[in-house]
Amino acid sequence: MQPTFTWSGVAPALPEIYLAAAICVLLMVEVFFGERRRGLTGTLTLLAIAGGAALTLACAQVDARVTLFSGMYVADPLGTVLKLFAFLFLALALLYSRAYLEQRDILRGEFYVLALSALLGVFVLVSANSLLSVYIGVELLALSVYAMVAFDRTSGVAAESAMKYFVLGAIASGTLIYGMSMVYGLSGTLRLDDLAARLTEAPSLGLVLGLVFIVVAVGFKFGAVPFHMWLPDVYHGAPTAVTLFIATVPKIAYFALAFRLLAYGLGGLTGSWTQMLAVLAVLSLVVGTVIALAQTNIKRLLAYSAVANVGFLLLGFVAGTPTGYGAALYYMLAYVIVTLAGFGVVVVASRRGFEADELEHYKGFHARDPMLALSMMVVMFSTAGVPPFIGFWAKLRIIEALWETGHLWLVIIAAAASVVGLFYYLRVVKLMYFDAVPAGLPATEKRTGVRFALGLNALAVLALGVVPNPLLELCERLLG
Amino acid sequence: MTLALIVLLPFLGSLCAACLPASARNAEAWLAGIVATGCAALAASLFPEIAAGHVVRLSIPWLPQAGLELYLRMDGYAWLFTLLVSVMGALVVLYARYYMSPRDPVPRFFSFLMAFMGSMLGIVLSGNLIQLVVFWELTSITSFMLIAYWYHRPEARHGARMAAIVTGGGGLSLLLAVLMLGQIVGSYSLDDVLAAGDLIRAHRWYPAMLVLLAAAVLTKSAQFPFHFWLPHAMAAPTPVSAYLHSATMVKAGVFLLARLWPALAGTELWFWLICGGGAASLLLGAASATFQRDMKAVLAYSTVSHLGLITMLLGMNSELALIAAVFHMMNHATFKASLFMATGIVDHETGTRDLSRLSGLRHAMPLTATVAFVAAGAMAGVPLLNGFLSKEMFFTESLQAGGTGGLGIALPALAGLAGVFSVAYSLRFIHQVFFGPPATALPRTPREPTRGMLLPSALLVLGCLLIGMLPERTVGGALAIAAHALLGDRLPDYRLAIWHGFTASLLMSFVALAGGTALYVVLYVRGRALRRTPLISRLSGKRGFDVLNVTIFRGARRFVRTAFSQRLQVQLLLIVGAAAVAALLPLWRGGLAFGDAPLTPLDPTFAMLWLAGAICAVGAAVQAKFHRLMALIMVGCVGLVTSLTFAWFSAPDLALTQLTVEVITTVLILLGLRWLPRRIQFQEPLRHTLRARLRRSRDAAFAIAIGVGMAALAFAMLTRPGASRLGPFFLQNALEPAGGRNVVNVILVDFRAFDTLGEITVVGIVALVVYALLRRFRPAAESIDVPRAQREGLIGGGAHADPRALLPEGDLKIPAVLGRLLLPLAALVSVYFLLRGHDAPGGGFVGGLILATAMIVQYMVGGALWVESRLRIHPQVWIALGLLAAVAAGLAAWFAARPFLTAQVLELHAPLIGTVHLSSVLLFDLGVYLLVVGAALLMLVALAHQSLRSPRRELPGAVDGAAL
Repeated sequence: MQPTFTWSGVAPALPEIYLAAAICVLLMVEVFFGERRRGLTGTLTLLAIAGGAALTLACAQVDARVTLFSGMYVADPLGTVLKLFAFLFLALALLYSRAYLEQRDILRGEFYVLALSALLGVFVLVSANSLLSVYIGVELLALSVYAMVAFDRTSGVAAESAMKYFVLGAIASGTLIYGMSMVYGLSGTLRLDDLAARLTEAPSLGLVLGLVFIVVAVGFKFGAVPFHMWLPDVYHGAPTAVTLFIATVPKIAYFALAFRLLAYGLGGLTGSWTQMLAVLAVLSLVVGTVIALAQTNIKRLLAYSAVANVGFLLLGFVAGTPTGYGAALYYMLAYVIVTLAGFGVVVVASRRGFEADELEHYKGFHARDPMLALSMMVVMFSTAGVPPFIGFWAKLRIIEALWETGHLWLVIIAAAASVVGLFYYLRVVKLMYFDAVPAGLPATEKRTGVRFALGLNALAVLALGVVPNPLLELCERLLG
Repeated sequence: MTLALIVLLPFLGSLCAACLPASARNAEAWLAGIVATGCAALAASLFPEIAAGHVVRLSIPWLPQAGLELYLRMDGYAWLFTLLVSVMGALVVLYARYYMSPRDPVPRFFSFLMAFMGSMLGIVLSGNLIQLVVFWELTSITSFMLIAYWYHRPEARHGARMAAIVTGGGGLSLLLAVLMLGQIVGSYSLDDVLAAGDLIRAHRWYPAMLVLLAAAVLTKSAQFPFHFWLPHAMAAPTPVSAYLHSATMVKAGVFLLARLWPALAGTELWFWLICGGGAASLLLGAASATFQRDMKAVLAYSTVSHLGLITMLLGMNSELALIAAVFHMMNHATFKASLFMATGIVDHETGTRDLSRLSGLRHAMPLTATVAFVAAGAMAGVPLLNGFLSKEMFFTESLQAGGTGGLGIALPALAGLAGVFSVAYSLRFIHQVFFGPPATALPRTPREPTRGMLLPSALLVLGCLLIGMLPERTVGGALAIAAHALLGDRLPDYRLAIWHGFTASLLMSFVALAGGTALYVVLYVRGRALRRTPLISRLSGKRGFDVLNVTIFRGARRFVRTAFSQRLQVQLLLIVGAAAVAALLPLWRGGLAFGDAPLTPLDPTFAMLWLAGAICAVGAAVQAKFHRLMALIMVGCVGLVTSLTFAWFSAPDLALTQLTVEVITTVLILLGLRWLPRRIQFQEPLRHTLRARLRRSRDAAFAIAIGVGMAALAFAMLTRPGASRLGPFFLQNALEPAGGRNVVNVILVDFRAFDTLGEITVVGIVALVVYALLRRFRPAAESIDVPRAQREGLIGGGAHADPRALLPEGDLKIPAVLGRLLLPLAALVSVYFLLRGHDAPGGGFVGGLILATAMIVQYMVGGALWVESRLRIHPQVWIALGLLAAVAAGLAAWFAARPFLTAQVLELHAPLIGTVHLSSVLLFDLGVYLLVVGAALLMLVALAHQSLRSPRRELPGAVDGAAL
């Protein structure tokens, strides 16, 4: 067979091609104009994102599933929707962080290029239909993110976190490819759809071993206990603008990783990996919730809250049903929307030489900046799972999915963890609204555009909670 | 539509109120008042339909997947509560208008108050249980905000947080209970749940569900053992206490109990849980209330007690008790709110609520005293007031509910005792505040309040009187409607009347009145300050809550300290350990036998070779931290062993490539090492402690174990029959049709040519990046140390060789001659390898590396200046040419209408030479060759120039390196 490239054989992958081209163009722009016009690349990046979203929408696969490049790549509605969300989330993250970067003299084109290449990694993962493309996506994303963590070269803490992240991440990548090699060796195929078709009978021990390593890697990427150690350090050490990015956009990729690799490709082994994920999920819930109580730094607090949330998200996978995956997708999207607002507030509240990352800094925040305080309160209530915010529905759907599959104990643990979680989320609200303002805190950033976007974001947390149906329906339709 | 309006109106009002300026007190109050009366009017307008026994419904699709719709449902019971919430709301708004000080930020107050009202109406009108939970939590949030309204007071913050956590936790428990109910019934709709009572009671989840539900309602209604939050919530402004913490929010718990009564009640468990919790609260609340000093605390504990009474009634499993409970909910709301308002007036006008300081206020504020007097009478259960009626019903029920056994005596006794206490604290409340000699040392001089504050309280008291005297005429109808809505056909005969004849319950009422008076007289005459509740004052839920709170935080900190670390080593250990455990678990059960694939026989020579290689590898790892040069040498040895291994297994091509790569990387790293300190001296004193040694041995043992495990696993996998392999495909297709005998080379330049193209591009970019990064690099001063050999005069140097001289002087003369002789030879060999690459070991990559190595030798011997003054190879050009050649080879295929990079073969028949076999593959390989040479040289130039730049200060006469 003579492989040939035709337009229809490439067109569904246009978003990725476009993104790769945009990265190259932006690099060139930065080389020639970057020194003279600092913000140019940032602006162009936002335009590129808008263009990319339009293009993605234009060549969206409405309800077909197309595989390209000898089955390495798949284009389906899930991929399109996830990509559109990734564009949106990245745009918001970049918008919030611009002033932050500017004030610390790290507003360089490379930041945007790295963010876009991370996005490309996300896309590759989202559309992966082969163990290889999964791995390439994971690595492209991870390598870009390592560099972003160390982006503030003058910061020792950032360098340390990047180093840790890199070393631990390399181990995770190693386990991932180790597991993949076992699965490949025993099944004889790299394609996920072939895998799904072949792994139907009871799994052999070798397959289970391979699966263990893959689950370990997935757990690491998500930051599930006991593979979560990097997460608080990186969230804390990275510049807040980068933390904002890490905490949001890659979560889409990790969802895709778990869904494409475990739920779809290794769907024949559902019985095995749900048990493993259940352990990870429970540990994450308990440890994440308990440790968050002891934090005095808001970035670390949000990091442990991320660990606990990952526990919840994984519970959706533990259910092992389309409803469960739909709930996990919804949870992921809800979490990212809320987290964007949360870290967005931290980013906007900080100034040069003042990171606004200690809980102390949020005492009497309401008096200093009512709008940001209100947004943060919405975030906290939503994360705590208080109705009518979006976080409530996310938790509810997960619990319902677990209920349908009879995981009564998991439901009880999840609910108990939520109750303990109330403590620290409310603690932040109390600090912001009821404590006296300490002296000597600088004023917050007052750019209208950013604040408007942030306000809309916080409003979305409420609005999507009051009208949860559209998003929920979308998630269910994609995975139903 | 009216229903939606009733729920929406307060929320809209809340939004509007939040936008008004802080000084607009009147506008806020008008807005809130209109909203509240509007809701009441809307509810009243539905009376004809409700009275006819209809249920008004409104459903809007909301979340069909979860079986959820926005379903509002108003029956008689909900109607009664709607009216209660909105009328009380209107009165409280009026009161608050005059109560709040002009300095308080009113928009926040009214905004939250209306949001609360909306949420409460939402609870009342929910026809769907999940929706009810949503509104339930909303009341918790708004209550949190309202309690903490004066957030500068620490007790307000503490009380707010406690209330929010206790009721919020209760809310989650309610959510679980509701989810269970939904699973049992198959629907969250209230209609379906109420119709499925038998199914629910028989289900195996019923006990668990009931416990969760009880936890929810007991927290919300401040019942034992969760009652402790209510007295602390009294830090809220008094209108809030009157509205939320006596009339409405705390009623949400008992409201729900009554709502679900037809479906859930009637079991032993129900009786013990609900009736037991209620009884404990009834008695504890009443006893505690008697001994409080703060007027609001008396009322708070009295609220606990009265709600306990209602809960107890609901737990009695009797229809009459249910009606009495609903009746008492109404009565309690009227007299308790009125008392709270009176307390607020006293507080407002005198500046204190301390019972021991207040006295004789009836002289200064006779109207307030009258109003409070009547309301307290209702609370105590004095005849002709509404409290008497429901309390008598309670006594009657308590006589019947216990049956004939011990319970039959215990329940009435308990009820009577609580009644005694209730009379005592009511009496104390009135007597100490309003009677006796006028108080002297008050913060403010008491006087009668404005009419606006007195009016709501007086209206409520009027209600107490009217209901108390004419029960059937006033509330009889409404109660009948509510009771009918709850019970339907099971509605028993009951009669609201003041006089039922001489009954046991009447006797109990009078015993309670007499006993209470006697108790108060005894306590008062004995003059004890009544500071602490005897016996039960130590039984404090607050303390438990605080201890739990602190324990959780401390435990979390301790857990973090012991179990986790920010050190990379520990993190690595934990992650790898966890992965190992995860991998061991499946092995534990099954065990993994090695496969049965035939093994290659082991040759002793080969084993020795690998042993040497392994030792070198370990040595490199050990030395990497202390002596880089030594580590590098050992790494080189490992590379050599690898290369030999390839040769051993008949892969000369790989061996060749590996060898050249080893050489060139070693040289490049050596050049880089020049700028790092040679040895690292450790100054850490802790390095040699026993602890550190143990830690290192642990890490070493762990690393070895993991390594062995991985090796074993890999061996087990490799010895199994694998799936289809790629090897045979390449072997079969290499010669025909690809036309090459060297399979590795064919893979590189033909099968995987596109990959190779990408890779050489990357190599080119890396070289450019290295050059760009090092262009301006200046080594740190401490690293420009003259090597020891030079310092001690063992070898000459330090100064750079003169670029004009043909040969360097001194020690390097002979190596220079040899090196230069080697260059053309090496070039020839490299071209030879390039040309034969397709059929025999070799290829562009190997060839390029050989030429690059030869050039490096020139640099090492002659020095950078000497070489570059004669160098005609410009690395950038070579890189560019290499890439162009490779792309051209790819494009050539297009002229034959084949896809990019398809190999094209041209057979030329030239005279004399014979047939020449030309392939586009060769051009591609040439590209690789050029690029490799260019890239290696460019990196070399970048590194070599460091040695020129650094000593510039000492050698002003030398040629400036930067100029090159």
